This record gives sequence, structure tokens and C-alpha cells, in this order.
Amino acid sequence: MNTKSYFLEETAFDSFVEGMMKATALYAPIAKKHCFVFAPISSPKEVRLDYDVTILPPKKVIFPVHQDLVSFGPGGGASAIRPEPRILFGVHFYDIKAIDMLDLLFRENNKDWNYLAQRENTTIVGSNIQRVSKRAFWGTVGKGVKPHGHDAFITKLPKGYVLEVLTAKGERLLSYGKFESATDAQVTEARKVNEDAMDKCPEKLTHGSHEIAAKVRAAFKSKLWEEFSRTCFSCGTCNIVCPTCYCFDVQDCWNLDQVSGRRTRTWDGCLLEDFAKVSLGAGATENFRDARSQRYRHRLMRKATYLNDKLGGPACVGCGRCSAQCVPDIADPVRIIESIMEG
Amino acid sequence: MSVSIRSEETTYPNIFMPRPAEIVHARQDTAMEKHFTLKMMDGEPMIFEPGQMLEVSVFGFGEIPIGFASSPTRTQSFDIVVRKVGRVSGAVTALERGQTLYVRGPLGHGFPMDKLRGQDILVVAGGIGLCPTRSLILYILDRRSEFKNFSLFFGVKSPQEQLFLDDLALWRKSTDVKFYETVDRPDDKWKGNVGVITTLFRKTQIDPGTRVIICGPPIMYKFVIAELDGIGVSRNNIYVDLERRMKCGIGKCGHCQINDEYVCLDGPVFCFKDIEHLEEAFR
Repeated sequence: MNTKSYFLEETAFDSFVEGMMKATALYAPIAKKHCFVFAPISSPKEVRLDYDVTILPPKKVIFPVHQDLVSFGPGGGASAIRPEPRILFGVHFYDIKAIDMLDLLFRENNKDWNYLAQRENTTIVGSNIQRVSKRAFWGTVGKGVKPHGHDAFITKLPKGYVLEVLTAKGERLLSYGKFESATDAQVTEARKVNEDAMDKCPEKLTHGSHEIAAKVRAAFKSKLWEEFSRTCFSCGTCNIVCPTCYCFDVQDCWNLDQVSGRRTRTWDGCLLEDFAKVSLGAGATENFRDARSQRYRHRLMRKATYLNDKLGGPACVGCGRCSAQCVPDIADPVRIIESIMEG
Repeated sequence: MSVSIRSEETTYPNIFMPRPAEIVHARQDTAMEKHFTLKMMDGEPMIFEPGQMLEVSVFGFGEIPIGFASSPTRTQSFDIVVRKVGRVSGAVTALERGQTLYVRGPLGHGFPMDKLRGQDILVVAGGIGLCPTRSLILYILDRRSEFKNFSLFFGVKSPQEQLFLDDLALWRKSTDVKFYETVDRPDDKWKGNVGVITTLFRKTQIDPGTRVIICGPPIMYKFVIAELDGIGVSRNNIYVDLERRMKCGIGKCGHCQINDEYVCLDGPVFCFKDIEHLEEAFR
């Protein structure tokens, strides 16, 4: 369908949010102490479209930290796929790109409806970046890959908002607020706001994706991995905060009745020590990525090279979450990539 | 006529949903390994290729990846062998005949039968590496005329660790397979070869054109491949059946990755030539 743009007065914003809340479960960025998180909204006043970046990426609304896959009881198993209609509101473009990647990865080869069902039932509304986080580099990473999985995109202008409607699901949003057709001037202004944001990142990659992918892959045996990972805690924070990480563990949990339970998946991280470890029996084990530096390298290879052919660019969107949340501050892809490119 | 008042629900296929299988036979083969024969309970037969695998589970304990240990030429049931090493395998090996296991599969890519037919075949199996390769061994024996010379090397640490004792007794006498076995640490009764599996290469002549299948503990591969290089077997003709932590079995969860390959999806059987360049594939 053709893109259509609408205008919403500043004063009509709260009633638009209320309209969405009444219609369906609404997830949006809210303040949490000095940070921001995506969370279910209970009042329009909570919505903070002026957030810089959220602690966890919005993928959690579609791919939750813990998710029941199958429930079981004495009689056997039953599917636990129960999607809920949701609106995911206020997603920055880099996080939309990340969700696009997950859409492809959960769909390819074997379709995983445990993800795809909730994805189908989620309406995604992007929003422009009003404040730039301290470690962001989305302006220079994977520039050839554009976000495409969202249903609408809202841009803040001085006196209101321009809502660009991209899909039938996005069009449904119009009934929740008092929208009018946007003027050409408003559409142009919104486009300029989004374009101007691209230069505002504090961190920058100085090479293109193809060049980076080739050189990082060629650096597999470099001593850099050992040097960079020397202070790594193997805590997996870089994995957990990453919008494109989707590794998970599957475990069975008994209910309190001890006769029924759930087979559940939980986010996992390739930086964790036992991620690739298997038991051989008689107490013997084999850890296929035993060394910290191997696990550290695997994450960056996965972000910068391994998935590029499938995704059309790197599996990194430049949100800067790993850089900002790594305690010893060694996870920053820009620093790692730039040192490899200079080397 | 009754009218449904429920709104129409979309039912999504769930790739994590396992199917029940009845244990029709269970035997403790060694101190650690238990051999199960299973039959699907939902009436749908299990159709698989030699070398493919299953996620096997007991509800409340979890799932583990296990290779098929029988040949698809035997269609009434199928076999798996489970080594008791942890929580899930402990729950599986506690089950007996008449009880139910849950399985998902078949998963992954097995042995390339098109490339093996009409060729000389050597299977090199170390320890429980004999379980997944048994799917191929029995296939070849069942369709013996489709293959040329067939040799089998089997090595274990001690005689007590030998599996499939009935099969071994048959293979020792069979003219359909040239069977060579060895143990690292013999006991008083052992009269056969002593030494690691590569010592068996001195027992027979392997033609350089042979297609070779290797499955065993991670440490075994490089030594066997060195022997094959010495004989002049092309690395295009060597197939390795690899073990990794295949948690989901469908190429999503990430645990089994070797660089950018998913063992559960692209393997567990790989042509050696295709993965020898991957730094994480072999020790």
C-alpha cells in the first residue's frame, strides 16, 4: 500500500495513546529511575518518546525473556502458543531493523511460530530519535539495510506529530486518535528530522559493512581477541541487552503440583562459560568454546560477519547497549572493529 | 444442530511439540548406555535417513539430541542408545519397556547416501560413535549389493564399553563386512587388538577411493584424518558426524554453532572438505 501521512496536534497525543490502550495491550518506552524501558502502559503520561535508548531492546515484547513452548501433564503435552494482540509503540529505527532480522531468522529453515505468532499479532509503531544515547553508532552501521517491518512511524515536530502509515495494521491506528492529513510541508519537515538525526551519533564506524566483514573474518586468529577479552567477566550482559541476539536455552519446569509443568525457553548468551559445553559421561566434559577469548570472538564474528549474507548487512544495529552496559567496557563493537581495521 | 459460539481460533504449528513413542524394547547395554527400541504412538511412522537425529525427552526433565541407531530399512520401529550423563539422560535411561518417551524429528542432515552408493565404504566409530553410525552400517548390510567393499573399525577404551554385543558377534563372522575392533585397555579375557583406533589401519588395506565416515569423541578426528591423508583418501570423500550441544535441533538456539554453521541444521554429518576451514570444527 502507498504510504500515507497524517498529523496529530500535540494536545491530541494523550487521547491517541488512550485510544490505543483501550483497544489493545500497549507497550511503550517509559522512565525507570534514570533509564528507560519498554513496558505495558497504564497512563498516557508515562509514555516517553524522548527516551535515548532502553535498557533491554523491544524484542522482549515479541520474544520474551521466558516463554513457555509446551505445557505438559500426565496425559502428555500441549502447545503453549497463545499470542496476544499488542501495539509496540515508539520503537527507534535501529530496533526495528533488529526485529526485521529476528523475523527472518525465526522464519528461515524451520518456522518457529512461538515467535512468529506473537510477531503477527504485534503492531509496531516506530518513532524518531529525539535524544541520542552516549554510545550510539547507528548512523554508520549497516547503512544499506533499512527498517521495513514496522506498521507506522511517528515523528515529533515542534507543534505535534506526523504519523506515517505503512500497512493495514498501521492504518487501524488512525481510528484511535484525531488525525488529519499531513501537509506536504509537515511531511518534508518530518523527513528532515529523521535525516538530520543520522549524523548525531557520538561513535562512528569508518568503513563499510563488506570491508568490515572481510577483515574481521580474516582476523580470526588475531591476538586482539585475547587482549580485548582479558577483563571479560563472561557475564553475558552484551548478549542479553543486544537487540539482535536470539540464542536461548530450553528447560522443563514443574508446576507446584509436581505433576504438570512447562517446557520453557529463556534468553541465553554465547559469552557464558557453559554455552557450548557438552557432557561426555563419567564426569568428562567437552567445551567447544572453552576460552573466554573464543566466546568473545564468537559474538563479534556473529555481529560483524557470519550472518551478513542472510541479512544483507551486519547483525548489529548500532544501538550501543552492549558498549554502555559492559562493566569492564570491552564490548563496544566500534572499538573492536576499528582496531581490526587499523591493524 | 449445535452452533459454535467460540470465535475462530488460529492454530499455529508448534515446532517444539514432541510426539509420543512407546518403548517396545529396553536393554542396559553397558554400565552407562541403554538401548531402546521405539514405536510411534500416533500412527505416523518415523521416516528418516541414516545419520539424522532426534530430540528425545521426558517431560519435566528436558530434551537431548540423540542420533538414530537403527536403519530406516527396518520400518516397524527404530532404535536409540542413550548414555547416562546428566539430568535428562538419567530420566530417559530410568524408563523401561511399555513406558513413553517423547521425540521430535527427524532433524538435520544425515549421511549422503547418493554419494556412498556404489562405493567402497569405511566406517570409523569410536565409543558411542557406533550408535549413529549403526544407522548406516545396518543400512549397508540390508542393501549390501548397492555398495562395494565395506569395512568397519570400532574402538573403545575397555571391553566393557562395547555396545550392540549381538551385532558385534554377527559382524565378526559376517562376510558382508570386514570388521576390525580394538580396545585401549584390555582385560584378561580380551584376545583382540590393543591400542587406539588408528592402529586398525595396519590390519587392512584401505583403497584411496574409499568413502570414509568418522564418528567418535572430539579428540579422535584429527588422528583418523591424518591416517586417511597418508593413504591418500580425498577430503571430499570423508564424512564426519559431529557432536555439539544441539539444544533446539532446528537451527535457532545457537548452542551447536561451529563458526557460522549450525550442526543441528547443516549437520550433524558434514563433508570434511566443507568444514575443515572452520577454526572451531576440530581440536
